[in-house]
Amino acid sequence: MRDSRPARLLRLHFGESDQYRGKPLYEAIVDRCKQLGIAGATVFRGLEGYGETADIHRRRLLKRDQPVVVNIVDTPESIERLLPELEAMMSTGMIAASDVQAIRLQKPADPRD
Amino acid sequence: MLQKGAAKKVTIYVNEDTQHHIGPLYEAILTFLLHKGVSGATATRAMAGFGAHHVVHTAKVELLAEHLPVRIEFIESAEKVDSLLPTLYDMVTDGVIEVQDTQVVKAANKDRKPEPAVPHEEKRGTARLMRIYMGESDQWEGQPLYEAIVQRFRLMDIAGATVYRGILGYGVKGHTHKSGRLPFSRDLPIMISVVDSEEKLNKAIEEIESMMQDALIVLSDVEMIRLIRPTPGVAGA
Repeated sequence: MRDSRPARLLRLHFGESDQYRGKPLYEAIVDRCKQLGIAGATVFRGLEGYGETADIHRRRLLKRDQPVVVNIVDTPESIERLLPELEAMMSTGMIAASDVQAIRLQKPADPRD
Repeated sequence: MLQKGAAKKVTIYVNEDTQHHIGPLYEAILTFLLHKGVSGATATRAMAGFGAHHVVHTAKVELLAEHLPVRIEFIESAEKVDSLLPTLYDMVTDGVIEVQDTQVVKAANKDRKPEPAVPHEEKRGTARLMRIYMGESDQWEGQPLYEAIVQRFRLMDIAGATVYRGILGYGVKGHTHKSGRLPFSRDLPIMISVVDSEEKLNKAIEEIESMMQDALIVLSDVEMIRLIRPTPGVAGA
């Protein structure tokens, strides 16, 4: 079954060591997305990078601060609803948004279920 | 160098002891093909067979082993085969020449000499970016799904695909992907990103649709800048 519709993709860029209320920011964001019923969020860790603060994010011997990217895909309305929440949680970093076409692939439900 | 795609396969059956000038005919044919720049030819000596003379040649009986059939095979482009056929027709005084349409799926050459450094070519244009989200533990016929998909794309000549492993996520399968305490029990999120033309990506989606249980595909328009090293002899690569 194929279901294709216009959607919006958010990419949040920040550091792995960024915290929000005592836990990693990326974890806090994924939890918040879940609470708000957002379709999906995925966190990727980059190897090296730099951003707003011009500090190079890389893996050091004791401290891990590699760049982190969170991808979030949902309907334009849901993304609009989510954006202010994210802005409040992120102190530094970058949010990029783009219009996309989303195709959800799902195997038809097993008739035995 | 043989290219991927439609080609012709030529099979020539001769007798091992048929002569051409001073040497065996099959050797003369191989030498001729080599001089004409044919990318490869193989001569195989048969175990047994019979031809137009209706005498069974077999290696089992010493007396009959002298006339064993030899099969020469080579694959080339249609134009090249057309240019070679008249000479081969003349050379094969006793035997059969057969030509059939074939498809070259792969033509790899491991020890090709490194090409001289040429400035790379820049190609710009609009393209489409496809991101496919799935779980790391998703399987397809006993193989990780992401590996199977990348292999399929390679076969389809899709410009390129990159697999990313996430560190945390939820979505398509409804549960949180998180790395477990044991390294082999994890089900982290996987994303494959692919850039190519819209038509090719549509074909790619059709191809992989049946392989995936639950997945999300996200498509967007992108501006593409490709840096290509021109391969000698490949027109319009």
